[in-house]
Amino acid sequence: MKVNVLFFGVTADIIGVRELELTAEEPTTAGSIINQLSRQHPALANHKLLIAINEEYADANTVLNDGDELALFTAVSGG
Amino acid sequence: MSDFTELTTDPIDITSVARRVVPSECGATVTLDGYARRFTKDKQTGETRETDYLVYEAYEPMAVREMQKLVEQAKAEFEISNVGIVHRLGKLEIGETSVVISVSAPHRRAAFTACEWLIKELKRTVPIWKKEVYADGEVWVEGESALKP
Repeated sequence: MKVNVLFFGVTADIIGVRELELTAEEPTTAGSIINQLSRQHPALANHKLLIAINEEYADANTVLNDGDELALFTAVSGG
Repeated sequence: MSDFTELTTDPIDITSVARRVVPSECGATVTLDGYARRFTKDKQTGETRETDYLVYEAYEPMAVREMQKLVEQAKAEFEISNVGIVHRLGKLEIGETSVVISVSAPHRRAAFTACEWLIKELKRTVPIWKKEVYADGEVWVEGESALKP
């Protein structure tokens, strides 16, 4: 299955792109995608990441579906 | 007259935001004008850093949805009439407005309380990030409060 992963701010700087399409074995959780990315980009592990799936906050144990949009970012700092 | 939540890369006209939330039953509008600060004291080291300018970015569709949720929650919880929230994105010079929240209400007390609640929740939940750019570097600010989904 394919998952579209979005990055913002700190995570976009670490990964080097704002968007990645990843292919994963089913079933896959958001946490396993984070682990996979952290192996390639160890700096990711230095930050506490928040997770959104299809524009809603979710936790690392959430199982992803084909075509989901997964966003990974650090604690928000708007205002 | 209705609620609104918007993102813009243009300068924000505070007065027009404040006036858009005013229906006839209201007696007061409380408007927060949040703007880019030059000097920031580091809460851990106590040192003061001087910011040259700020850059804001957002997960735009989710940010608008989260702002709409806050408006709905505020209207359910406080005796208010309308809420307008506009957040600026992109590069902001020092002193430029980054966020405006206007809350109209029949009586002022509820508007003050709701406006304070809205900015506190916006800073905790709405996916927008601020980069502070200094003379000798830059840093994406990471929010303080842990999110409890």
